[in-house]
Amino acid sequence: MTAVEKAARLASWLVAATVVVFLLGPLVVTVVVSFTSSSIYTLPPPEWSLRWYASLSQKSGLAEAVWLSVQIALLSTALALVLGTTAAIAVVRGRFAGREAIATFAVSPLMMPGLVVGVALLQAFRAVGFRDAWTSLILAHVIITLPFVVRTLLAALERFDFTLIDAARTLGLSYPQAVLKVLMPGLAPAFLTSGLFAFLASMDNYPISIFLTDARNKTLPIKMLQYLEEQPDPTLAAISTGLIVLALIVLAVGSRSVGLNRMVH
Amino acid sequence: MTAIRRIDGFAWLAAPALVYLGVLYAVPLALLLFKSLSTAGTFPSFAGYAEFFGDDFHLNILWRTLRVALLVTGLSLLVAYPTAFVLARARGVVQTIILVAMVLPLAVGVVVKTFAWSILFRSDGLLNKMLMGLGIADEPVRMLFTETALVIAAANIFLPFMVLPIYAVVRQLDPRLVEAAATLGATPLHAFFRVVVPLTLPGVVAGAAFVFSMAVSMYVIPSLIVGERSQTMAMLIARSYLFLRDEQLGSSMSAILLVIAVAVVLGSSALIRRLGGGRT
Amino acid sequence: MAHLQVSGVVKRFGKQTVVDGLDFAVERGELVSLLGPSGCGKTTLLRMIAGLVHADEGGIALAGRELASVPSHRRNVSVVFQSYALFPHLSVRENVAFGLRARGVIASEAAARVDDVLALVRMQAFADGAVTQLSGGQQQRVAVARALVVQPDLLLLDEPFSALDRKLRETMQIELKSLLKARGMTAVFVTHDQDEALTVSDRIAVMNAGRIEQFTDPGTLYAKPATAFALDFVGLSTRLTGQVTQFESGRITVATATGELRANASFTRGSKVLLGVRPERIRIGAGGTEDNTLQVAITDVVPLGARTHLYARAADGDRLLCELPGTADMTETRPGDMVTLHWPMSDTLVYPATV
Repeated sequence: MTAVEKAARLASWLVAATVVVFLLGPLVVTVVVSFTSSSIYTLPPPEWSLRWYASLSQKSGLAEAVWLSVQIALLSTALALVLGTTAAIAVVRGRFAGREAIATFAVSPLMMPGLVVGVALLQAFRAVGFRDAWTSLILAHVIITLPFVVRTLLAALERFDFTLIDAARTLGLSYPQAVLKVLMPGLAPAFLTSGLFAFLASMDNYPISIFLTDARNKTLPIKMLQYLEEQPDPTLAAISTGLIVLALIVLAVGSRSVGLNRMVH
Repeated sequence: MTAIRRIDGFAWLAAPALVYLGVLYAVPLALLLFKSLSTAGTFPSFAGYAEFFGDDFHLNILWRTLRVALLVTGLSLLVAYPTAFVLARARGVVQTIILVAMVLPLAVGVVVKTFAWSILFRSDGLLNKMLMGLGIADEPVRMLFTETALVIAAANIFLPFMVLPIYAVVRQLDPRLVEAAATLGATPLHAFFRVVVPLTLPGVVAGAAFVFSMAVSMYVIPSLIVGERSQTMAMLIARSYLFLRDEQLGSSMSAILLVIAVAVVLGSSALIRRLGGGRT
Repeated sequence: MAHLQVSGVVKRFGKQTVVDGLDFAVERGELVSLLGPSGCGKTTLLRMIAGLVHADEGGIALAGRELASVPSHRRNVSVVFQSYALFPHLSVRENVAFGLRARGVIASEAAARVDDVLALVRMQAFADGAVTQLSGGQQQRVAVARALVVQPDLLLLDEPFSALDRKLRETMQIELKSLLKARGMTAVFVTHDQDEALTVSDRIAVMNAGRIEQFTDPGTLYAKPATAFALDFVGLSTRLTGQVTQFESGRITVATATGELRANASFTRGSKVLLGVRPERIRIGAGGTEDNTLQVAITDVVPLGARTHLYARAADGDRLLCELPGTADMTETRPGDMVTLHWPMSDTLVYPATV
């Protein structure tokens, strides 16, 4: 390796190391802050304390917000998995014109301003007199989660060896049986990965949700920002730490079954 | 005269998703666009847009939004590019650490991350303590409520979205191509700019398009880091609907953001196709 | 001093010694093959000569210049890779011009040289097209053009024909050989295909487990393989194992399970040896005093058009292969028949048996 290459390699590693520190640093800080005894965010904490975790149960509406977010995430992800898988199969196996356009269309919500989609949806719902917040949120979150499913499944289907299905059929399985016993298990990692990311995206979403919530139906991110405005104390850090732990568990599950590398393609 | 076209059976499989997105996504957006072009019942009318563009305050916000988005995209690209290569070359524990660093922030969510950055940026926060400790600053630097802080925080939060597409492309890069370049007489620098960079361009475009569109429409991050003082388009849209009750303004601004987003989507996918990155 | 001089080169990967103290010299204008099975180290040796891998020990000199500290891009050694490694984002013309651009050759001169070499490989019609649309044979020609246009001191080719189908291979091998000869190019081929090596090379180096077992012209290699490995690897052969019973004035008598054979060799009594014969030297019928004769049972008769293969089995399971011209009438012969075969004693090759 020449000197130029060595220098470039060293510089890249330094950048990458800095990146890792800056990506994980804020999270570490949040966790540390959650254990402070003072009601402001100074670091290092004057004393360690669990008071903010204790106060979680007192936080009004927190449990409801968490539960609501989980419900919406689960239901919208489930729906997205069904819609997204069928669409992905159509794009990969079909021979009709406009396949690529469909794929781009299905993935586009990721790049659209969430706020705008939320407003548009709100106005559309109002125009037809639809006012149920809970259902609106689920319907809206499918739009957010669908792109994750489609993207991951497109990649997985393109990698899948469809002659396996032919082999299964020559061995005695009918076409639907072959799909069930050969294709579905083959896609299982993709389902898991996209399901996890879709779930997390839904849990985290603010822009679309803000327009569709009402007084009784507030999702977790909305509740968190509300707390931040009303009472900015380290309780938020405690909630955040909880979410970080949840994310770690999700990642551990994902990497055990699918492998971290496969999770990102 | 009429050709009999066999509708591909698979096309029907795509129908549910298409109908769903059509009714709940495309149509409402189209309606919004339509609304932005009608003022007090007359259509088409550009009064809403005229009102928006006629006001300097609004133009400032638009310009600021675009400027911040470009800076965020540029900064994250600069940092993400070498990181993607390091990630592609890493193995074992190191690879795991980098991957976790990429994915954990995504999993944790924007609210948590932005909140974390707001803690860091505080006058009595860690960053200021470090700067003063290293002797770079004599008194706490005001970070919160500055555009610089916004750019740094956003670039950091969107970084994984820039790294991962580039990483995907770098992983598929045939090392023989760089070897071939070397044996043909190309210096490492020449080989890098003439072989590696062009071949990673599809990933760069994808990542940049992604980050730019997210940066242009971000709401949570500017709300928490810069607040009312230097609003972005998204913040003003939210305000116009939720507080100002000025739907005309809101819909005009929404339409503008929408047009930008659509342009980015279409432009980037066309560009990627031309660069030959269509296959994966 | 040879044009390419490889001296005592060693390469280890972890505990494995992949290249084991090789000495290897190629004259200017020679076409040479490194022939061997996968894992024998031939590709590693090629990559060391190209500068893509560092040798642990030993030296490599090209045109009098020691290459150890010279990075790949300054060695003026071109490589045609097995997968051709054409740059997908560049057109055919741009691919071929790449090396010239990298060396700073001015555009007009580069364009002229590119056109010349494209005409040489008959790819001018495709000059402005994408490389991804080309067939295997076309891609290979572009890869060769790209490697030659920079006028390298040495051309290395890593299994350049393995991706082509059989019919195309021999034509392209001959084409490439005459192209290189016409330009006086020095080239080293790496291959596991003996036909390729025999077609293309002035000399062949048979490699096994990191060492060169024999380095000679194709004719000699075929007629007089220096080791049992070379015998096996190049061409077909009949092999018989046995023990030396007599040794007198350069001639040994060997007792095999099927009969007594004699050969011109020097081995002590009692040594275990491996005897080999090329199938086309074997004839049906009893031989004379200077021939070896055996009676064996036929197992298969395989008519191959231009020739016929007769397989027979010796008493201890050794298999004999006899190749007869296609005109030989084998219609009467059945598996199980006993047949007498003979061949000249002087055509018997002898090697120490390792087992």
